Amino acid sequence: MIKSNDRISPYQLAMIVIMAVIGAGAFHFINDAVMAGGNNSWLILILYGFVNIAAAWILITLSKRFPEKSFPEYIQEIIGVIPGKIVTIIFVGYLLIIISFEIREFTEVAKMFLLPRTPTEIIMLTLILTCVYVVRGGVECVSRVVEVLFPLLFIPFFLILLPGIGTVDLTNIFPVFRHMGSGTVKMLPQMPHAFRGTELLLFYIGFMKKPQKAYKPVTIGLMFVTFFYAVIILLSMGMFGVKGTTREIWPLISYIRNIQSPGLFMERLEGVALSLWVMTVYSTIVLGYFASSYSISKVVGTKEHRQYVLPLVIVIFYIALQPAGLAQLYDWGNLMYKYISSIFIYVLPLILLAIAALRKRGIKDYEKA
Amino acid sequence: MGVFTRRKAAEETGDEKQKLATTKSLEENIDMLKKLLADCNDVVYKEFRVGVDQDNDFVLVFTDGLIDKSFINEAVMGELMIHAREVPPEAPKDKEKLFELVRYGCLPALELKVIENLDDAVLAILTGDAVLFMDGVSKLIEIGAKGWPGRSVSEPATESVVKGPRDGFTETFRFNTALIRRRIRDPKLKLKQMQVGRRSCTNIGIMYIEDIALKEIVDEVERRLKTIDIDGILESGYVEEFIEDNPFSLFPHIKSTERPDKAAASLLEGRVVILVDNSPFVLIVPVVLTSFFQASEDFYMRWIPITVLRFLRYFAGLISLIAPALYIAVTSFHPGILPTQLVLSIAAAREGVPFPALIEALIMEVTFELLREAGVRLPVLIGGIVGIVGGLVIGQAAVEAGIVSPIMVIIVAITAISSFSIPDYAFANAFRILRFLFIIAAGFLGLYGMVLMLLLVLGHMVKLKSFGIPYLSPFVSFTASDMKDTIPRVPMFYMRNRPLNTAVDKIRMINNRHMINNIEASKSSSDKGGKTDDKK
Repeated sequence: MIKSNDRISPYQLAMIVIMAVIGAGAFHFINDAVMAGGNNSWLILILYGFVNIAAAWILITLSKRFPEKSFPEYIQEIIGVIPGKIVTIIFVGYLLIIISFEIREFTEVAKMFLLPRTPTEIIMLTLILTCVYVVRGGVECVSRVVEVLFPLLFIPFFLILLPGIGTVDLTNIFPVFRHMGSGTVKMLPQMPHAFRGTELLLFYIGFMKKPQKAYKPVTIGLMFVTFFYAVIILLSMGMFGVKGTTREIWPLISYIRNIQSPGLFMERLEGVALSLWVMTVYSTIVLGYFASSYSISKVVGTKEHRQYVLPLVIVIFYIALQPAGLAQLYDWGNLMYKYISSIFIYVLPLILLAIAALRKRGIKDYEKA
Repeated sequence: MGVFTRRKAAEETGDEKQKLATTKSLEENIDMLKKLLADCNDVVYKEFRVGVDQDNDFVLVFTDGLIDKSFINEAVMGELMIHAREVPPEAPKDKEKLFELVRYGCLPALELKVIENLDDAVLAILTGDAVLFMDGVSKLIEIGAKGWPGRSVSEPATESVVKGPRDGFTETFRFNTALIRRRIRDPKLKLKQMQVGRRSCTNIGIMYIEDIALKEIVDEVERRLKTIDIDGILESGYVEEFIEDNPFSLFPHIKSTERPDKAAASLLEGRVVILVDNSPFVLIVPVVLTSFFQASEDFYMRWIPITVLRFLRYFAGLISLIAPALYIAVTSFHPGILPTQLVLSIAAAREGVPFPALIEALIMEVTFELLREAGVRLPVLIGGIVGIVGGLVIGQAAVEAGIVSPIMVIIVAITAISSFSIPDYAFANAFRILRFLFIIAAGFLGLYGMVLMLLLVLGHMVKLKSFGIPYLSPFVSFTASDMKDTIPRVPMFYMRNRPLNTAVDKIRMINNRHMINNIEASKSSSDKGGKTDDKK
């Protein structure tokens, strides 16, 4: 009988990249990016997009050496069982913090625009519990749900952004290319913030049948992400100007708020946009959540990952409750994204690849094997 | 040991000797049979003697009402009692020889079978065949003479079409297989029969086209059917519940249909059709979400209107799922979404309504479901009265009494109409229940709750499989060419491949549309066809 296949197709991998990278952070990220990069921020972002594609290729090259194995399995091969388990646990801890941060950030936005009188705890808990159901289904369900959500999310979302284009004044983005160099340096710390989520590829490529086919979908996925960021930065800058954009906490929501569309059935679209945005937050969480519960099962050495999913709810919920408010949340977030994320996205894969090459672990050329 | 235990034992060991054996003596056989069929007053034992000397004792046993009496008279009684005397053949004295003569030379019935034990004889008698007992021989002859009162082929009540064939399946198993066979004259169209149900011994048939349907799926269907061990199967719904992948799911993932054309189309797509005796509904596996939004008419009419209508159907599905929930979410959580004028008119309409929107919606939806449930089983004459009462209660009295707002009435009405636009009844039922879950989610968490609910439903659908096929395909494990018959319906000549991607023989047709306007090309191709196939 056709068994449940725990495999990911290249198309699904592209969706995973997109949905893992784009998350709740996209609202606030515009503010940070424009503050650092000014008029050139969208150009610099595109540049960083290519840098990150290169970084993702390193990730793929590493994962490719260990076909049908994901990060928690092959790291034990590279640096030994005990150190491997320790690194995996640190990674899991990082993922859980990221998930909690994501949940908390979205909750703050939702509280502001959607449910002002609902307690924070309720919003967070319902979101986490909704994720649990799919995470328990395994990688097959996770990848499929992400695949289905992509068109459901982005087609309506772009349709919502569309009517605002009339009010966008693109002269606001001029002058370009001035202070490009200093902007690039200033925006560098924002790069891991924008492309956080690529590190999950360490897990998900392991579920591919032919990991050498991962280059194309990952590149396409990251190009879409770059395009998306560039578009929303351009739209926000076009509507508010550079100064105005830095003044808004969530420029994208303010942009949607400002859309005037006479004759439409709906008048203020930010509620609709935010409800749609639940989907991307959900998929970001689900992808990280599955990776962490799967890693735990590999560290402990059990076959199934399911039994770890529900207990993790408590951990995530607890961490998410820690920041006292929006200001503290973003302070902590800046620290985390700048330093810890970049370690996992750029540094760790490079080190692991070097060690694997030196110790001759894994398959060097997949085609010949 | 009873009949069922013996039958089961024989089936498990494969040893026919487990069943109750016959003897050579007619008297003993009939005595044993009468013991087995004690107090079955509809079983008839017709004793008669055959031959010029009247020295061969025969007994014909059958169930009254299940057999075609005129056929038995003509093909059995007439031959044995009258013709055997008119032209006296050299009736062999050896009983075995006599049996051979009767079996191969005397009975002009179409279906004859030799059976060698009483358990099979009992089953044959109760199925509607006649069994001929002869003195001195331990073998029995089963004569196929089924003929019971049955409904003739008529238009299916649940799936009527404007354009398309009007015949529908009936309760008789054989009619149903014939209706499918009439549409596909392919030797590769296979029918595997088995009997399920210890007491009912219901005929179940698996139909598939050998070189299209994936063998694994056919084997899996057969394996699952064999696991059923129940006293009786009365309808294909029984079978559905036993073999579906996830019986705890809200969504149907086996399609049942009354239309032979639909069954035939499914067979050609590489699906497997399960027919159950006594049920006009055949089961189709595997199916995906989009199959529940397709009507068989979709392929009998021009594709442009059908594509538009399909969009409408999906839209109706969405409306029937979320319209009341959306109303609650917008009015009680996010009135800012709507234009000011509309918010004002909703507020004006809701003025004086004592309940929150959640309760208001629940009252109306429950009332509607009550009316619908009451109306389903009522005779047509009384059903009309339900309509009047419902119209008054829903439409007017509730609004005038100030319990609900007129806008809520509009919402409920739109929801109802939309839910009737979903072609499949079982699927529409799933949406009915989900609608209430959405109402509750929206009542507590507004739009956010609705999206969470949607994510839960999606998460569930993503897990769901119908015989190994993902329920949401082709949207998951995305393949662009499979989208041709989902939300749009592209012209038939573009559907080169079968929509089900497990089909073994993928190509279903060759697009020769370009030949219509190019006379030369079509001529040369028909010449070529003539050379390869002389019979044409």
